[in-house]
Order: sequence, then C-alpha cells, then structure tokens
Amino acid sequence: MAEAPERHGWKWLLCAPALVVLVTAASGPLLIVVAYSFLTPGNMGGVVWEFTLEAWFRVFFRRDIFDPESITFNQAHLTVYWRSVWLSLQTTFICAVLGFPTAWFIATRPPSSRTLWLFLITIPFWTNLLIRTFAIQEVIRNNGTINTVLLQMGVINQPIQMMYTDFAILLGMAYVFMPLMVLPLYAAMDKLDFRLVEAGYDLYASRVQVLWHVILPLVKPGFIAGSILVFIPAIGAYVTPRVLGGGRTMMLGNLIALQFGQGRNWPLGAALAMLMLIIVVGALVFYLRWANREEARNV
Amino acid sequence: MTAQTKPDSAEIEIRDLSKVFGQGAAAFRALSEINLQIRTGEFFTLLGPSGCGKTTLLRVIAGFEQPSTGSLRINGKEVAGLGPNARPVNTVFQNYALFPHMTVAQNIGFGLKMQGKPRAEVEATTAEMLSLVKMEAMAERRPSEISGGQQQRVALARALAPRPRVLLLDEPLSALDLKLRKEMQSELKRLQTETGITFIFVTHDQEEALTMSDRIAVMSAGKILQLGSPHEIYHAPSERFVADFIGDTNFLDMAVKAVNGTVAEVTLPGGKPGTARLPEGFLPVLGETVTTVIRPEQVQMVDAGQGDMDAVVDNAVFFGTDTNVHLRLDDGQGFVLRRQNSAETIEPDAGTRMGLRLSPGALRVLKG
Repeated sequence: MAEAPERHGWKWLLCAPALVVLVTAASGPLLIVVAYSFLTPGNMGGVVWEFTLEAWFRVFFRRDIFDPESITFNQAHLTVYWRSVWLSLQTTFICAVLGFPTAWFIATRPPSSRTLWLFLITIPFWTNLLIRTFAIQEVIRNNGTINTVLLQMGVINQPIQMMYTDFAILLGMAYVFMPLMVLPLYAAMDKLDFRLVEAGYDLYASRVQVLWHVILPLVKPGFIAGSILVFIPAIGAYVTPRVLGGGRTMMLGNLIALQFGQGRNWPLGAALAMLMLIIVVGALVFYLRWANREEARNV
Repeated sequence: MTAQTKPDSAEIEIRDLSKVFGQGAAAFRALSEINLQIRTGEFFTLLGPSGCGKTTLLRVIAGFEQPSTGSLRINGKEVAGLGPNARPVNTVFQNYALFPHMTVAQNIGFGLKMQGKPRAEVEATTAEMLSLVKMEAMAERRPSEISGGQQQRVALARALAPRPRVLLLDEPLSALDLKLRKEMQSELKRLQTETGITFIFVTHDQEEALTMSDRIAVMSAGKILQLGSPHEIYHAPSERFVADFIGDTNFLDMAVKAVNGTVAEVTLPGGKPGTARLPEGFLPVLGETVTTVIRPEQVQMVDAGQGDMDAVVDNAVFFGTDTNVHLRLDDGQGFVLRRQNSAETIEPDAGTRMGLRLSPGALRVLKG
C-alpha cells in the first residue's frame, strides 16, 4: 500500500502522448481563438496584441459611423445566428423523419444484405462535399434537371426558383448529414428486440400503436445520438450554404469565414466562432439533460 | 387416443394444417398434417425436442405465422389470415418480452389500453392482475429492476389481463432455476384453474408436461405422434420415439407367437412365455420379432429362476429416492430396473444373478 502513491508518481507519464494530442490538437487552437477574440484587428488581417472587448461588443452591437455614441443591436449578426439555429433544427428534423424509415428498412433486411445497404448509405461520404453540393445545384438550378423536366412536361411555365433559397440549403444539408442520423438509428434498431414488437401486436396494438408505444421509445437513444451528430455540423456548415444559398442566405460558417477573409477582422471572426461554440455546448447540455430526464422517467 | 371431443366444446380446432418456410429446394416443412382439437378450459401441452415444430405451431395459433394450408378455428371462428392483434389469444414469451421502457403496471395494462378500454377499467384490471400474481408491491418498478421469477409473473399477468380465450405459453419456465420452476408450475396450474382460460403450453421438459397437463401432444419432425392424457402418454406410448422421449424406458426385442385379441403372446428373452399388449389397430406378423417397451419401475427383483426373465447385475446407480439397477439379460440385451429405496435396502453387487418379474400388463408392443 505504501508503494502505491510512489508508483502513480510516474505512471501518468504514460498518458503523455494522449495529453500532447489533446493539448496541441484540441485545446490549443481553441485557446488561440479565445485569445484572438480579445485582441485588436490588424490592418491587413491578423491581430495586434492589444487587449480589447471591441470584437465581443461588435458581435452584439453596432456603432453609427458618424455618431459613435449611438449604439444599436447588430441585427445582421443576430439574424444569421437565428437563421443558422433554425435551419439546423429543421435539418435535424428532416433527417430524423427521413432517416427513421431508411434505418428501419436496413435493420429489417436479412443480416447478410445489411452490410451492403449500410455501405450504400455511406457512399456519399466517399465523394468530395463540394462536388456533391454542385451536383445538387445541377439538379435544382433554374435550367437544371427538375425545372427542365417540369417545363417540358408543361407543368410549369417558368422555372421555379430553388437555388439561393432556404429550401436549397435545407435540401443540401439534409442530404449531406442524413448518414449521420441513419447510422446511430440503425445501431439502436439493430439492438431492438423484435419479440417486443411481436408482444405489442399480440396485445392488440395496431401497426401505428406498435410504432408509437414500442418502437419509438426503444430507439430513442438512436434519435438522440443522431440529432446531436446532425445538429452540430449543420450549425457550422460552410460549403452547403455558400454554394446553394449564395450570398443571400448566409449562415454562421459563412459569416465567420467572411470576417477572416474579406472582412479582415480576425478578432470579430474569433468572437463569432466562440459564441457559436457556446450556443452549441449550451444546447447540447440542455438537450442531454432533457433527454436523460425523459430516460429516467421511461426506462 | 381419446381425442373424441364434441366439436362444440373445442376452443381451438386445427384441420390439415401445414407450414412450409422458404421455397423450392430450400423449402422446410415445419408442420405437416396437423389435426387437433383443444377443449375449452383445458391445460394442453405441446411436447417435443427442439426443432420438432411445437413453437411454430404455437406461433401459427398466435398469428405470428400464417399456415401454408389448412384451417385454424378459435371458438368456431376461422382465424387463418388474421394478425395476432385480431385474435382472442395472448402469448407468454419464452424470454417474457416485457417492455423495458414501461413499469410493471404499464406492461400489464398495455393490452387493455390498446383495446381502447376506459382508463378506470385499465387501472382496475391491472390492480386485479397484480394481486392475482402477487406483484402489488412491484407495480411501479421497471422490468430490469425485478428478478426473473417476478418478470415471469408480470409476463403472465400482462397476457391474462385482456382476458383472452386462450393463453399461449412458449417454454415460459425454461429460464428459471429448478426450485423456482417447481413453484411456477403450481402457480401456473392455480392461475389456469382460477381463470378458467384454455392454456396451451409448449415445453421440451417431459416431467413438466406430465405434472401439469390435462392432455399432451407429443411432436416430432413437424407431426403430432401421439395425443393423450399424461397417463396414456407415459404408460401406453404408441411409438418408439414417444416411449424414448418420455421417461426412462427399456426396449426389448422378442418374437410373437400368437395374437389373442389386444394381447400378443410372446417369447421373453430367456425363453419363458409372456404376454404384451398391442397398440390399437396394429397386428404383428406371427413369428416376427417386435419391439416391446416396459418402464424400469414396472419390474421387480426376485430370486434367480423365480421371475419371467433372468439377468446379471452390471452396476447399481443410487440417486436418493430410487436406485437404478443396470442389468444384462441372458440373451445379451441391456435392461434397467428402478427400485424404490428405504433405509434397509442394500445395493445388489455387480455379477449377482437375479430374476425379474414384470408387472402384469406392463409390457407393450410398439408400432414401429
């Protein structure tokens, strides 16, 4: 017993490689972003090492150029935040609604063919995101596939504007993030004891009742994991809103990129990014607490 | 067989039912030519080794599988083609299949809730069922928080709550340890008597089947081999498989000398004459060898030369209440005799020569 503390004295060194990775790859860059958000922007981008709260101030407020005393809320930033959260929630919802039957289909195939179906689901991951997004653009643009077909069939007289709308962004994001919902849902369904479904039918439940009272509560952990996996990358999405939303419907990722690029205001970009992180972590904590409370009540 | 029931008292009537899984060369005939009438209020057991089709038959009755051919009537109504939620039948699953996200009370009330019964009725019946299976104290627990035996009771209560006409039990006791299993056997009997519901019980445990059932159907390879009371199945097995599957049995080959009504006159091993009962509708060829069967406890030890056959002791296996004496008959066939023990009885030594007296009427000829 007396030797134990001594041994622990050097044993932690074994964690060193992991610690190095954690510090340099995860915490380090994050700390740099935090630090930048409190510095003064340099003239040609970059930062000047002078402490200021200006960046954080400008995240929420704006000064009139001619009257520095007149301060108003920065509507543009708040709108982008709100739109990002709202579009991400919608994306998560769409992925859940479409992902459930997809995962169910795979989970109910014979075990031998499930691997093939899962492989097909993950195939889009193998293609460059930008190329996939341009492919969607090709389908929905004014002289794209859908409009051409509808015009030639005489269903419409002029092309439907789909590009550069929220619809385009939702379509793109739901398409891109769908596997992230399907895979955890499938994992939950794979563990589902189908005898419980039989027990439900045996006890006079209809198909809808079995779905609602037996299947959905049991695959809820899959929904929770899937929602988190979809929502987090969706809120910071850059490529999809950039290509499909154009300049008109900007999301957080684009706003942040803008500050680091043409805006040449790195501290503001850093502050915006930090706020996004705070929102995501806050939402996650809130969501998990809520889900776990449900869990405690139901399982 | 004593399955001559009046059709109007049949709770379940199965005619020429078969079930084939798969198609073409891969087709597997799980059930063939099943004809069965199960009476109202009866404790009926489907007994057989694994893979004999007993569970498939249960699933066909429950509605999880549809028969390939034939008819299935429950309470006079044809149900082939109906789903499990449209049949007045509930199942107790082998691993209970309790809903893990619901409390014990919610599990029990589930069927009634799905039937759209008013809340007050659901609650009243749930309380009644909880007390029927003595689980009142556990009403708010989750299935994961109660023991296997308690889960078993909840599964029973859940299946009984909607008052089905027939309760199907798929090896419900197989996951319990021996002591609990004995307890649940009498518990099941009590529930069946109290509720008056027809029970169809599937098991591979012959002892369980014998102690609990009103009637037993012994199944093998998708067919019903014999149907009868536990007494008939044990004492008058019609086929070698049935005799072998249920209890310990001696099979003896011997020649038939004459047939006298339902009794055959045979030459016993060792040359003495004897009689063996014939199964219904079976006439052996005179002079041919037939297989006969006799239970180990239907034979008594006597002095050498005094009994029907003579044998030499190989060894004796003591197991508490009884001792099994393994013997070799003079013609070389093996034989087991079971003797009840008392404090005074001593095991016979290996090599001892003794006589065996067969209980009158105990020796039976098998069909196959």
